[in-house]
Amino acid sequence: MFNQYFQPNDILIIYPELLLALFAMGVMIIDLFLDRAWKVLNAFTALVGIAYAAYALYRLKSNALNLSGYNHAILNDSFAIYFQFVFLIATALVILISARYLSIEGENRGDYYALILLSLIGMNFMVMGIDLITLYIALELMAVSEYILVGYLRTNRQSNEAAMKFFLLGAFSSGILLYGISLLYGISGSTDLRVIAQRLAERPSHDPIALVAVVTLTAGLLFKIGGVPFHQWLPDAYEGAPSTITTFISVAPKAASFALILRIFIVGLKPLETSWVPVLSVVCVLTMTLGNITAISQSNIKRLLAYSSIAHAGYLLLGLIAGNEYGITGIAIYFLVYAFMNIGIWTLVVAMRRKDLIGDQIQDMAGMIYKNPGAAVLMLVFLLSLAGIPPTAGFIGKYYLFASVIQTHHYVLAVIAVLNAAISLYYYFRVVVVMFMSEKTDEEKMTLSPGVLTSLAVTLVFTLLIGIYPEPFIRFAQNSLSLFQ
Amino acid sequence: MEPRTYLWLIPILPLLGATLNGVLGRRFSRAAVSAIALLSTGLSCALAIFEVVTLSDVFPIIERHFTWIQAGSLRVGYDLLLDPLSSVMVLVVTVVGLLIHIYSVGYMAHEEGPNFGGFYRFFSYMNLFMFAMLTLVLANNYVLMFVGWEGVGLCSYLLIGFYFRKQSASDAGKKAFITNRIGDFGLTLGLFSLFWMFGTLDYQPIFARAAAMPVEPLHQFGALTIITLLLFIGATGKSAQIPLYVWLPDAMEGPTPVSALIHAATMVTAGVYMMARSNVLFSHAPTTLLIVAVIGAITALFAGTMGLVQRDMKRILAYSTISQLGYMFLACGVGAYAAGIFHLMTHAFFKALLFLAAGSVMHAMRGELDIFKMGGLRKKMATTYWTFLIASLAIAGIPGFSGFFSKDEILWRAFNSPEYGRLLWAVGWITAGLTALYMFRIVFVAFHGEFRGGDEAWHHAHESPRVIRVPLVLLAVGALLAGYVQVPKFIFGGVEKFSDFLAPVFASTTTHGVAETAVNGGHHLELGLTALSVLIALAGIGIAYLVFRAKPERADLLEQKLKPLHSLLFHKYWIDELYSTLFIRPIQFLSTWVLWKIVDLFVIDGLGVNGSGFVVRGLGRGLRHLQSGRVRAYAGWVVLGAVLIVAFLVFKV
Amino acid sequence: MMTFDQILFYALAVIAVLSAIMVITRRNPVHSALFLITTLFCVAGIYLQLHAEFLAAVQVIVYVGGIMVLFLFVIMLVNLETLSQERRFNRQWHIAILVSVVLLVEFGTIIWRGKAALQLPANQPLMDTLTTNNSEQLGVVLYQQYMLPFEIASFLLLVAIIGAVILAKRRLSSDGK
Repeated sequence: MFNQYFQPNDILIIYPELLLALFAMGVMIIDLFLDRAWKVLNAFTALVGIAYAAYALYRLKSNALNLSGYNHAILNDSFAIYFQFVFLIATALVILISARYLSIEGENRGDYYALILLSLIGMNFMVMGIDLITLYIALELMAVSEYILVGYLRTNRQSNEAAMKFFLLGAFSSGILLYGISLLYGISGSTDLRVIAQRLAERPSHDPIALVAVVTLTAGLLFKIGGVPFHQWLPDAYEGAPSTITTFISVAPKAASFALILRIFIVGLKPLETSWVPVLSVVCVLTMTLGNITAISQSNIKRLLAYSSIAHAGYLLLGLIAGNEYGITGIAIYFLVYAFMNIGIWTLVVAMRRKDLIGDQIQDMAGMIYKNPGAAVLMLVFLLSLAGIPPTAGFIGKYYLFASVIQTHHYVLAVIAVLNAAISLYYYFRVVVVMFMSEKTDEEKMTLSPGVLTSLAVTLVFTLLIGIYPEPFIRFAQNSLSLFQ
Repeated sequence: MEPRTYLWLIPILPLLGATLNGVLGRRFSRAAVSAIALLSTGLSCALAIFEVVTLSDVFPIIERHFTWIQAGSLRVGYDLLLDPLSSVMVLVVTVVGLLIHIYSVGYMAHEEGPNFGGFYRFFSYMNLFMFAMLTLVLANNYVLMFVGWEGVGLCSYLLIGFYFRKQSASDAGKKAFITNRIGDFGLTLGLFSLFWMFGTLDYQPIFARAAAMPVEPLHQFGALTIITLLLFIGATGKSAQIPLYVWLPDAMEGPTPVSALIHAATMVTAGVYMMARSNVLFSHAPTTLLIVAVIGAITALFAGTMGLVQRDMKRILAYSTISQLGYMFLACGVGAYAAGIFHLMTHAFFKALLFLAAGSVMHAMRGELDIFKMGGLRKKMATTYWTFLIASLAIAGIPGFSGFFSKDEILWRAFNSPEYGRLLWAVGWITAGLTALYMFRIVFVAFHGEFRGGDEAWHHAHESPRVIRVPLVLLAVGALLAGYVQVPKFIFGGVEKFSDFLAPVFASTTTHGVAETAVNGGHHLELGLTALSVLIALAGIGIAYLVFRAKPERADLLEQKLKPLHSLLFHKYWIDELYSTLFIRPIQFLSTWVLWKIVDLFVIDGLGVNGSGFVVRGLGRGLRHLQSGRVRAYAGWVVLGAVLIVAFLVFKV
Repeated sequence: MMTFDQILFYALAVIAVLSAIMVITRRNPVHSALFLITTLFCVAGIYLQLHAEFLAAVQVIVYVGGIMVLFLFVIMLVNLETLSQERRFNRQWHIAILVSVVLLVEFGTIIWRGKAALQLPANQPLMDTLTTNNSEQLGVVLYQQYMLPFEIASFLLLVAIIGAVILAKRRLSSDGK
């Protein structure tokens, strides 16, 4: 039964994913036996699954270093394990806030959680994969789950429309990506990124096919993280999707796509660095600037955060452009921080969804300090963190990213990035002004379920803790440096 | 043996107060809220005095708590530093802060009604401000200082917009915020460059290495010059200097104690503190110093002229603050850091006093601030009048009052500066006259003469309660005596306690920097110059008397005759309008029209059938809608992006 | 002088591209579908030339036999009258052409400039083509070397099924009301 392609150990490497799969099926089956009133148990089942997976992952982490399996199709190194922890944290927080939201929307079913767990499996394989085929299939697994989740509100046309757009454009970009992958296979004869890197290094520089491959890979991958000019789907999808799903896709899949990009560019395309660094630099500047400046004129909080999320993708690209230890640590810590602060702020947006009130206009937050003072202060903390003001966690992330490009002497980029951070304060602060300095327009309080409160407590504590005492978290994030091995 | 120190408690106590009041304050009575706020500030103040007194012979004390960021060679810790410079700052902040807190209890007591943002919230913000400010001055590295720097900014915006229902108040908050962003942009870049150059952000190693570097030549832009210029940009934002001063006058929309504490005595001096703290860097960059001195002098003069014609009492004081900050920058620019800090200290006393007295007047006048609707208030409010008068004499630089000593020191050092010394002195000298003029314009118009606000208001006007009067008197004592720690040589041989105390901080500056230029000319020249400044101050008071007291109709006549000039000054040189046209509108236009409406909506919708307002009915219709352009256009952008990337590669390779 | 293999390849390629263009330019959707079938056949022919018999067979069975029949079903079910009246192109088509031409030129430039560096690796057959047949080779690759992606793909299908069920449920509930 066992051969060089399949060792008994291989099962252990993907143990967390097996557990997640089991629970994904479990949720759907248990769902059949649940009354309407007990649907909240679905969320509970999913959380238990995540807890198990996290434990399995923890055991893996403490057991061995670089686990390669399935004939080198996957590499579960500490880089992968770090990102998987980030996904698990983000997913758990999203599940916490989902139950109440879904019941308000009248769509409380088990398949929602199953889809989230399945896309989690996809993301896990995306960070583990070192083989282009595995990476691609995992990416599609994540993406297809996302498309369905974005359109999950069956009766909401905006949600349907967003899902359709997201799906069509996602398929389009996957096509471009696949073209790049096939070109890489064509010139190297292998799908293993490490082999590809060797072959590319042997080939003459300015190899035209390699260049075309870089372009198509870049275009396809930048689409996934919403880099300008491949960003147009993002505000529409974020606005149309159920808020909990927006919370989800703004953090975990983005982190997964970024990890994928890191793997492909830092491991596979390292020999072609001279051609992709300038391209990414231009994209990075465009992404930061356009994201921030367009965010200024938004009146819908979901769209505002969507553009802000585009801008954040721009900051994250700085780390990739630097491509050194600082940059990678920066990206890693940024996603941990981003998971907390972004989920925190989106949780508040979710809680704004009250009966008969969509609550996604910035104006709906007017006078929040008088209605929900606690929520207003939390919002302030998360906004400060997004803006990167110390001593919140956001500062640590930005600090690493900006410092990394300074180390690699990309001074112009650093200046533009800092300038952008300054611009971003303007629109974050606009939300603060509305919350703290204008009249309340209605008396409707927020929907604060136990799940939402737990999620808020966790995100707040970590947003402040990482900012005030980042030491252990940075050490944790430095696990991702195994990428260079 | 290292003495046990409790520096960390100094900022933490107000933080505790802020948290307690912020979280639970709504349930507390006003008395309990005041007690918490006063107790936390008072304890912090007492502790600060105790630490400074007991530790002053073992300075500098560095308290290392724990490592905040550890990355490669960089270590940033929660390290606090108590040395002469930070102890001066800590004392000023806690003492003045405590007095203003006491005053606020009385001042805010009557505040209620729809415009009021909440008693407990006010004190919570104020205590939070104290925490941030103390962190700023006690920090032992630039990052922690930056934390405090942003923290005081945040509190400042929150407090400016405290009467948030007034549109002007929340606009002012926004303006302060945006203007400060520009400054902070410079500061952030400066910090990054410091890290890049020195590999650390702790004060001591940076200063030690910078001191060993050669002084960069004048009129050249070396690395240190660039770094210090960036830091200086940060300072201009926080300390309201040209070109970023525009937010401070508007910031007066906040409650008066806030204006006194944040926008006069403490926060706005953070820029001066930062430059004094980085004196080693600045002294190695003479080009920056020259720019600092010139900007400081121009700001002093410019703000002084704008203060001449305003009618709003708090606004006049705001321009006066900008002008006095200009003096401090001038001092730093000529390398006289000790003089700058000296002026910072005396200014904290008399300017806080002026604002608090203005608040007392405002109270009596039911919020009226137009000085031409007052008059003769001296008869109704004796304590307020006398304390205001003392502060005015101090700021005008009349001998015997604290402002005289510090301003004189700055002017004397400016005169001796090798670069444009005489010119800088002349500008400062004229400003001194203007200062006396606009201050005594308030005194004569508001406190003397006939009341111009109607009988009913006159009847209402009354002296403030004791809780307001006591801080006024205490600050007046400070404004009177604070100057005697540093007395020029020609008066009984002089006292140099203050500069001796600060000497260790500026030691390397005086040995290596440009500031070592011997103070030449001797005592006679100094005496002569002092006489000149006293003369112009007296002249200012005299003109104020002649125009506004002796024959008030002369003021109107003068205004008629100098209409264009008056209009120019009254509209503050139209700088606000200029900034709005030059910067704010283009950016808004870019965001709304170019990037959002055109790129994201028009190009996408406009090229296809307009889809944004189109509501899809059912999935089939949905698909049709998608066919009608939007998704295709998005896909088109993806392809266009690929085209651009390839084009980029083609042209690059 | 071209060999027969080369002539056959170019013929198939030209027909494939031409009928692909026809697919998007025909007004009648049935014609479009038929041209799409032609394209797919030509691609299958090219697979055959590469000795990928199994892939060619799958191409014909799955695409032509399965997916295209589904397409035709849908086309027959919707109203042909209204469909044929719709514009084939929206107003963006000249922009699209322009962009495509620019892209073509750019790729051309890159390849032209780097033609000195352009060298393709020799064809490396995965296994001996003479002793084992094509479908066996594919099976070995799929179930051994790429076993894990193959398994992940099963999850992908599961997600697709869930998605389809959610979509179908939507239809039922809205019809029921």
